[in-house]
Amino acid sequence: MLTRDEALKICETVLAHVKSAGADDAMVSLQNAIESHARFADNSITTSGRSEDVDITVTVWVGGRRGAITGNDAGADALKRISEEAVQIARVSPVHREYVPTLGPLDYPAARGFAAATAEVDLAARAAALQSALTACRTAKVNGAGFHTARATATAAATAHGNRRYFQTSHADMSVTARSADGTGSGYYAGDHFDLARLDAKRIAEQAVGKAVRSQQPKAIEPGVYPVILEPQAVSDLMGFLNNALDARTADEGRSAFSGKDGKTRLGEPLFHPQINLYSDPMHPELPAVPATNEGIPAARLSLIKGGVLENLTYARYWAQQRKLQPTPGPVNFIMESAAPPVSMDDMIKATPRGLLISRFWYVRLVDPRTIVLTGLTRDGLWWIDKGRISHPVRNLRFNQSVLAMLAPWNVQAIGAPQRLSPFMVPALKLGSFTFTSISDAI
Amino acid sequence: MSVSRRQFLATSGVLVAGTWVPDWTEAFQQAGAGKDAVRAEVAEAALARATALGASYADIRINRYRRESIATRERQVQNVSRSTSYGLGLRVLVNGAWGFAATNLVNAGAARTAAEQAVAIARANAALATRKVVLASADKAVSTWTSAFTRDPFEVPLDTKIGFLMKLNETALGVTGVSFVSSQILFVDEQKYFASSEGSRITQRLVRTYPQFSTTAADRSSGDFQTRAVVDRAKLLGYEYVEDYPWLQDAEKAGHEVVEKLKSKPVASGRYDIVVDPSQLFLAIHESVGHSTELDRALGWEANMAGTSFVKPTDAGKLRFGSKIVNLVGDRTQPGGLATTGYDDEGVKAERWHIVRDGMFVDWQTTRELAPLVGQQRSHGCLHADDWSSVPFPRMPNVSLEPAATEVSLAHLFSEIKRGLFIEGRGVSSIDQQRYNFQFGGAVIREIRDGKLGAMVKDAAYQSRTPDFWASCDGVGGPATYRLWGTSADGKGEPGQTNAVSHGCPPARFRNITVLNTAAL
Repeated sequence: MLTRDEALKICETVLAHVKSAGADDAMVSLQNAIESHARFADNSITTSGRSEDVDITVTVWVGGRRGAITGNDAGADALKRISEEAVQIARVSPVHREYVPTLGPLDYPAARGFAAATAEVDLAARAAALQSALTACRTAKVNGAGFHTARATATAAATAHGNRRYFQTSHADMSVTARSADGTGSGYYAGDHFDLARLDAKRIAEQAVGKAVRSQQPKAIEPGVYPVILEPQAVSDLMGFLNNALDARTADEGRSAFSGKDGKTRLGEPLFHPQINLYSDPMHPELPAVPATNEGIPAARLSLIKGGVLENLTYARYWAQQRKLQPTPGPVNFIMESAAPPVSMDDMIKATPRGLLISRFWYVRLVDPRTIVLTGLTRDGLWWIDKGRISHPVRNLRFNQSVLAMLAPWNVQAIGAPQRLSPFMVPALKLGSFTFTSISDAI
Repeated sequence: MSVSRRQFLATSGVLVAGTWVPDWTEAFQQAGAGKDAVRAEVAEAALARATALGASYADIRINRYRRESIATRERQVQNVSRSTSYGLGLRVLVNGAWGFAATNLVNAGAARTAAEQAVAIARANAALATRKVVLASADKAVSTWTSAFTRDPFEVPLDTKIGFLMKLNETALGVTGVSFVSSQILFVDEQKYFASSEGSRITQRLVRTYPQFSTTAADRSSGDFQTRAVVDRAKLLGYEYVEDYPWLQDAEKAGHEVVEKLKSKPVASGRYDIVVDPSQLFLAIHESVGHSTELDRALGWEANMAGTSFVKPTDAGKLRFGSKIVNLVGDRTQPGGLATTGYDDEGVKAERWHIVRDGMFVDWQTTRELAPLVGQQRSHGCLHADDWSSVPFPRMPNVSLEPAATEVSLAHLFSEIKRGLFIEGRGVSSIDQQRYNFQFGGAVIREIRDGKLGAMVKDAAYQSRTPDFWASCDGVGGPATYRLWGTSADGKGEPGQTNAVSHGCPPARFRNITVLNTAAL
């Protein structure tokens, strides 16, 4: 992987070229990634590979006009060529009406979340990890399919106004789907960490196998409105839609769930259960993130929902300038947690007279942005809870459910401890009602 | 639009007329595209090294991708960007297991290193394989193929392209009540070189054009808003597609539609006979037919991500998929189709074949690895990788519904409906992991009453189960109603890859389908 000096030297070279070519302002960003992966299915390895690439993006402004180009050749000739071409694009482009001068020198916290060993996977060690997962599947006589991946990335950026930054990050994750031999049960489990050494392949496989075995021969229930417990995986499957709706510009323009009446937004309203907190924090010990936004704003803890109140929307630099506000120092990740002590999964189940325990969701799509109505299906483990105990597996169901209604003050009954499911840390949730509209035959 | 293009450019900030970036094409050529001799040398080095290290089979793709993207909103350009990506990806078979390595360094030394890495990966994983890979035979191909286009979009001046989008936006904004318009156009140029240890050497060039836009109407006093997206129009064509298709007509129509949608009444949930326009039906075909008939899914290879299939590996020739008027073909030769190609990514020549004939499921989408697993001797040519750095794997061909043999009009399909809905355009789509249960929306939905098209309704989505849905099909339009639409970012695989694929179809009628009011839930 490119070192700080190597990466920033490439950026500086491009900056010099674009200045010579006539750029008034410029930003160069670079990403160098090494990725290794292996897939298996039907208890046998399928495909496996490694790739390495360098992407260099140069964005320039000439007389207020903007041009951008990305290339993946860091050779001297190529750097000169993309620099000159970016300027040429800018010269023939219209004036960029949302131009904000590039950032000057800024201090960034040191990035956490990089483990050097994740960059170059030890093939023998990975084979052993995969073998432990395959053995867990074969022993239980289930069909295992899974994915193991490790990625290390160096990112660097430099601007004509003197901003320089360089971060290293790594990410490893593994997921396993186990399906019972009779095809009536299926379980899924995933784990991820920035340090490959913290990935426990055997445990991940065993969790998936256990769900597959326990979900066999499901019984159908009528679609309708039920109390539910969502495991953290299920919560993470819905979280992205809530986070996307937090963009301030869309809300200000009257086309978001957080747009209010008469041109206002819903900032400050107690829209969610009073124990719900949602925030971004690059220094979170379990889920560290790059300590800068995509635009280069130094990231810091950013509260989005506090005590159930919509506390902040997210402002990019241009929109912040338009509204005479500061750009938000994030989000760079999303952490949802309870303001009260977390409730364990066992206690949630015990406190449920009747309802459904949901492992995960699948093919979730935004049906209505006005209230963040989503549709999707349960998958890989759905059980009926009767009188505080898991009673039996249930056939999968399609849901149509508003996220705002789901997290409303009157609907959230308990919140668990957050679990890392990058880029989220989310808890299990016990909810009073959740709307299902049809049965799925899928296992 | 009464404003001339020149007048418009003068008022929209696009002041530099008739200009383009001369080095764009030149730089691309200089950088190595078309340099078959260089690529051949690199390929030979990789294949020789892989074979020497014990690979029983190896292939290499040395590809360059060039993209140009322009994004606008209302009366301004948000972004003009270009990208090029060049690199090689090498696949090897050692002891019956696959290994793959890819690098952005395209030279003989880097290629040999990639071969060593790929072989090491295959060797390390061979012990984890319970099934040794066997490839169906394929003809050796030494060929060059270029997709059909008449105007290279990369040679069209930038201001011409920007002018097109600005005029499109202005047309939609000209409709009273339209609050926002966004539009984008993406041009993709794939220059691919393939070489295999079996002697195939194939050079291909594919040019695609992806225009899309959306209109939004917002009522600031009530906080209500609606959007009408037109996002399914990408084709394997050049800039002539921008010039020949009536985009401004569509933009004005989309403006009127979104304004009407904001004021329309909510649909009443219930059972309806529905007529689905090609602009929506293409997506229903994609999700319910395209993905369910991928053999790798049926075999469980995608179980951890995209899922499996309700169609079983032994079902070919035995499973009734739909009514007798339902005929679906896989086709990698269809003109304009996003998945159309000369050869797939393991050198198999593109072809057309029936997947569903007279309502019966008859055949799979296959690759050289998959075909033998269902007793077939030859691949249907469905191997694809979305980048030089991606592992090639089974991807969907264009899967299309054949029209009726004689002309059947849209009005005729409506005429036999007492209470129904006509569904156009892309709405929300969601389907389960075995492709049974689906829910699809539409961009524009109108009532059908006593055989006639009526008022627009909103908040509607239809739900069904794939075999029930296709069994309920009792009418398809004739050849004149056939359209080819496509999706540009079909996700599958781990690491995730995207694929562009088209689906041709006439409008079709389906009886007694469940329709939800999604706002009333």
